[in-house]
Amino acid sequence: MNPSASDQAIAVRNVTKRYGDFTAVNDLTFDVQRGEIFSMLGPNGAGKTTTIRMILDILKPDTGQITLFGSPISDRTKERIGYMPEERGLYRNVPVIDVLGYLGQLKGMSAHDAQTRARALLEQLGLEENIKSKVSELSKGMQQKVQVIATVLHRPDLVIIDEPFSGLDPVNTQAIKDMLYEMNREGVTIVMSTHQMHQIEEMAHRLLMVSRGKRVLYGNVQEVRDRFAEHAIIVEGEGDWSALPGVASVDPGDNGREVVLHLREGFQPDDVMQALAVSSEYHIRRFELAVPSLTEIFIQVAGNNHVPEQL
Amino acid sequence: MSWEKIWLVLRREYLYNFKRPSFLFTAFGVPLLTLVAMFLIFTFTADRETNLDNWQRVGYIDRAGVIDPALAVENDVTFQPVTDPALDTPAADAPDDERRAYFDALEASAAQQVAADNLDAYFVVDEHYTLNGQVTVSSERNLPAALTSDIEDFMRAQIAAQAPAELPVSVERLSDPMSVVIRDLDNDEELTETMLVGRIMLPFVFVFIYFMATSTTSQFLMSGVVEEKENRLMEILATSLRPLELLWGKMLGLGALSLTQVALWAGAGVVLASLHEGASELFSGTTFQAGDILLVLVLFVTNFLLFAAIMMAIGAAVTAEAESRQVASVITLITVAPMALLVTFFNNPDGPLPLFFTFFPLTSAVGLILRMGLTTIPTWQIVAVLAIQVVSVLVLMWLAAKIFRLGMLMYGKPLTPRTFWNALREGRVVLTTATESQAELPDNLPQKRSVGR
Repeated sequence: MNPSASDQAIAVRNVTKRYGDFTAVNDLTFDVQRGEIFSMLGPNGAGKTTTIRMILDILKPDTGQITLFGSPISDRTKERIGYMPEERGLYRNVPVIDVLGYLGQLKGMSAHDAQTRARALLEQLGLEENIKSKVSELSKGMQQKVQVIATVLHRPDLVIIDEPFSGLDPVNTQAIKDMLYEMNREGVTIVMSTHQMHQIEEMAHRLLMVSRGKRVLYGNVQEVRDRFAEHAIIVEGEGDWSALPGVASVDPGDNGREVVLHLREGFQPDDVMQALAVSSEYHIRRFELAVPSLTEIFIQVAGNNHVPEQL
Repeated sequence: MSWEKIWLVLRREYLYNFKRPSFLFTAFGVPLLTLVAMFLIFTFTADRETNLDNWQRVGYIDRAGVIDPALAVENDVTFQPVTDPALDTPAADAPDDERRAYFDALEASAAQQVAADNLDAYFVVDEHYTLNGQVTVSSERNLPAALTSDIEDFMRAQIAAQAPAELPVSVERLSDPMSVVIRDLDNDEELTETMLVGRIMLPFVFVFIYFMATSTTSQFLMSGVVEEKENRLMEILATSLRPLELLWGKMLGLGALSLTQVALWAGAGVVLASLHEGASELFSGTTFQAGDILLVLVLFVTNFLLFAAIMMAIGAAVTAEAESRQVASVITLITVAPMALLVTFFNNPDGPLPLFFTFFPLTSAVGLILRMGLTTIPTWQIVAVLAIQVVSVLVLMWLAAKIFRLGMLMYGKPLTPRTFWNALREGRVVLTTATESQAELPDNLPQKRSVGR
């Protein structure tokens, strides 16, 4: 697939950013397609926040080019972005509705529109009782929800959220997740930077992993996982696993119940499945490809044993 | 730059800080309390001192024989001689002892009449009044000032009636021989003593108002920046507007707040002057002309911008509000230095130290206004001060904008002068962010990162 510029919400091309002698972002290239949920991940200090700040025009890249919605960043395009930084806060001694009204107006909304929409979103997230409360009077979870509202208040076309679920309980996590899904269904592009791999697996369509400023993984989430899949299968049940055709070796699994069957060259998991299906000597409770979780991939890639991916 | 966004920031900063309890107290509370205090003083104290409704029965005992009961004296209170039917009035040629015994008995009777509430007070003209002028007033209550003043007028009239017709000096002149008039040779105007006090005092009042207004609002500015930095709002704001829009919005918003405070205080001053004759006279003593007021206003604006630029830079450079207050207090100390060394202004307002304070940008407003009340300032000095102010404002605003841009995204690490200097020299900005903490940088790298800006 080679998407046209009009399909791209963000296009980052060969962007490099140096802090003195240290290269924070090194020749980074990636796209975020319109309407997708895109995830950025990487160890601390990998260059994620620097990249986000360059996208937001808070920092200028040393070299390379960034375009938003097909054109260079301008005040107009900035108004189409909603950004929620990782470490967040709002004016503490100001009523919630006033903070939201102010931030909405700064994003180009009229005072009336900002107030009306803020009220609607506060009601949607169960904060209708707290419209006039000061931010400092709210619980951490409530503040987090207000922060999310501040991010999406002006109906942005692109939402960039750093660690959207940190500090949230499962109920509030689900509430925010539902809101993001709903916005995404309406066509809003969402970029998440997070360490919570299971959230990426669940939510993101595509991902970018950076390490030491370089792109190390990029693409469809499932494709990335498949790329890291071992030539092996995981089974649970009873039988003589080594006697199966194509099985090179058998390793006990981590939990004591499952076993990992490593396959010989030229054999596919389907061959093993067919052999199991026709044999009465095997009793199978579980059969799956040995695809690593994103967490395992993250550890493997971020553990410096991985050569940066070639485009 | 978008003026619409500057206006949004301006309005938000103005309204938010206007509602702060500390501002409300300084802006409204202080002048209001002053007015209420003045009102109470006028209503109660002044009334008590001037109202003679309860002092209509005042008698006198004339031991010296200087009072002519038939003489009509215009007074609020008509004084009557103390009498007692039980006592026989001694004959005009009665011996002194007999007369003294009579007056002693009359005084005792007068005291009893006061105790019985038949008299409000009585005064005794001493036997040797013509020599010692002694008049003793007795009462069971505190005497209002108006009553003693009435007794004085009464006695003056009595003496005047007896003075020789050919006396070339009026009795009033005898009783109050000196009326001081001070002539200002600069503009040949006559000043009363109250006006003279006003001439010296008013610059202090101006300085006080100016100082309160500037320091209060510029500290609001600083704490606002620190708050936005501390709670990371700055990063959100940075995606909504440009740093210079934020900086100008804040400066103008708080500048307007500062002017509001001055206007409120000045308004209170005008009300006070219209209420009280003395205050009015005090104000009229000032040498301030329209041009001087304009100069003070210009200095007010330039000095506010200087202060605001410094406070904003401090706010952007530090990491916590407590830290910012410490740094800000040093700046405040410098600014109040002319007040602390006030005596040098009185000794010689054109001396080296007052001159230094006049030209040093941070103390110009205070130094110049203080000198205005004490000396005539040459035009060249005023021009030089204004030039220095404008240049300082431009330089400091430029520096503040640099520091603001540098510091606004620096969390958890203060902006050191060295870092800033390096950034200025290289035309680059050096920053470290919290999200990319230093500890995670490779070991062989310096503990800071330079960012081209």
